[in-house]
Amino acid sequence: MIGSVLRIWPIATNTLREAIRNKLLYALLFFGVLVIGASVLIASLSYVEGERIIQDIGLAAMQLFSVGIAIFVGIGLIHGEVERRTVYTILSKSITRSEFLLGKYLGLLLTVWLQLVLMAVAFAGVSAAAGASLSVTHVVAVLGIAMELAVVVAVATLFSTFTTPMLAAFFALGVYCIGHLTRDLNALGGQADDPVVRGLAQGIYRVLPDLDSFNFSLYAVHGWALAPNDVLWPMLYAVGYVLALLFMATYIFRVRDLK
Amino acid sequence: MYGNENKTKAKPRLRRRLDSWASATLLGLGFLAVVLVTGFVHQRIPVAPESEQSGRLVPRPEVAQVLSLGFESVVSDYYWLKAVQIAGGARTPGPEQGDYLARLVDLVTYLNPHVGHAYRFAAVWLIQTEEEVREANRLLRRGIESQPEEWRNWFYLGFNHFYYLDETEEAARNLAVASELPGAPAYLSRLVVRLRAESGGLDVAQALLSEMVRDTQTEEALSGYLEALGEIEVERHARDLDSAREAFVETYGRDIESMDELAAFFDPILNRLPRAQPSRVGIELGGESNWVIDPESNQIVSDYYGRRYRVNFASDRAHRIEEWNRSAGTVSESSSEEGAS
Repeated sequence: MIGSVLRIWPIATNTLREAIRNKLLYALLFFGVLVIGASVLIASLSYVEGERIIQDIGLAAMQLFSVGIAIFVGIGLIHGEVERRTVYTILSKSITRSEFLLGKYLGLLLTVWLQLVLMAVAFAGVSAAAGASLSVTHVVAVLGIAMELAVVVAVATLFSTFTTPMLAAFFALGVYCIGHLTRDLNALGGQADDPVVRGLAQGIYRVLPDLDSFNFSLYAVHGWALAPNDVLWPMLYAVGYVLALLFMATYIFRVRDLK
Repeated sequence: MYGNENKTKAKPRLRRRLDSWASATLLGLGFLAVVLVTGFVHQRIPVAPESEQSGRLVPRPEVAQVLSLGFESVVSDYYWLKAVQIAGGARTPGPEQGDYLARLVDLVTYLNPHVGHAYRFAAVWLIQTEEEVREANRLLRRGIESQPEEWRNWFYLGFNHFYYLDETEEAARNLAVASELPGAPAYLSRLVVRLRAESGGLDVAQALLSEMVRDTQTEEALSGYLEALGEIEVERHARDLDSAREAFVETYGRDIESMDELAAFFDPILNRLPRAQPSRVGIELGGESNWVIDPESNQIVSDYYGRRYRVNFASDRAHRIEEWNRSAGTVSESSSEEGAS
């Protein structure tokens, strides 16, 4: 077990090092911070509730640009290694395919979490400068985004194991969009008279990721209190969902012919 | 021989350099010309002010919610900013703009029911027709549903029922709820008692309007409420003059022939006539207004307003609609005249 961790860690740090050399990461990070800063100007168009608008836009920018980074950097994870043939060198050492994949996942997750922290600092700075209140709930909201990112990175990793970067981007974006619609689909299906349709909607809701469950922005912006369970259950859900996706990704990657 | 070779080599190099400078200059000038022409052309493209773009599409709230993919708050903020621009661009939104505003606020509050001011914004701006006021009330009730502890939503609902719809009982009911919520001013409960006892009156209208003045943050709406308060002030003077007129009839056994008789007779009922215009309007701005006896109604009226104040918008609606149509007619007449000339 410890040996496995020791083998995964260098791959993760190497992936992080490689990812932070990616110009796309900086471009998205720059635009993310730009939107967070511009929220002050946008909010000035309203004569009331400017602080709320600043925080709405700031949290949304953090979420959107982080997901962009997760998907567009994550889709080339495996493909790049196969293209450059470095995967053969790595796998010829005493590293299993599963360890390699987990290292890649962890490295990308660290990358997106790192840029999330940078955007969160920018968000806190802008909020403080604009006089908008900051509380523990804001930290929880960022934690929620981090959980969502863990799931999205796992989705991107899964698709990167068996398809081209372009298709993986489409699939991952599709899952992200559906992930924010599953609650609506379930609610719509629940209104159907046909039990088959109701069951199908419920099934889709359970199988596809419920990304809205990680959204604590409303709590942060409106200063509502959160119970520990409100955070704990989504956190456990994220862990479970990520593990399930990584199991699938590992299986596919293990049986995949890399030649 | 070698010198000649150098000269022949030097010439093309110089020429090449000149050519590259010339092409760079030409490229720069071309770029500048394109930028200037594009800027000129862009300036010529007419842009309708936001307030006139009333026919623009506002997505159905249910559809917008699905398409916003978890970013409902931001989409809601976007449409809120649009609504603010519409209201800010039009001094008095017309019926089409009112409908546009109503749809925008409906969308804003559907996507994020936890917004605060949007409900009161609707109450301030949707007042041109009864349908608009009813729509504003529907939105206020949505606000009450999501924020039942917010006294101002109950207050605005009560105000709308009292002032625009002349539904005193409903107004009293809503104001009573408002008065019991945290943050509500203490006088509100007394106001409710008076409202129930008198079915309204100048004092109630004045108190409600004063609260609206305190809470309103838009200049246009504020001036509307201040104008109504000014009318109430003049109406108080007019009622004093009614009493003086009655005293005159009792004393002299006849009615007054002109207003001056109340103050200028050898044994005057009043020392002097009160101002016939609101105190906030200076004489230099509004000119000196006078009290006159309206030949049609035989009522004492200020020629500043030309009519007596009615407490409720609803009870005075016929007059207001007439006034609205008249001003609309004047605008269309003058525009057609301009077109003809």
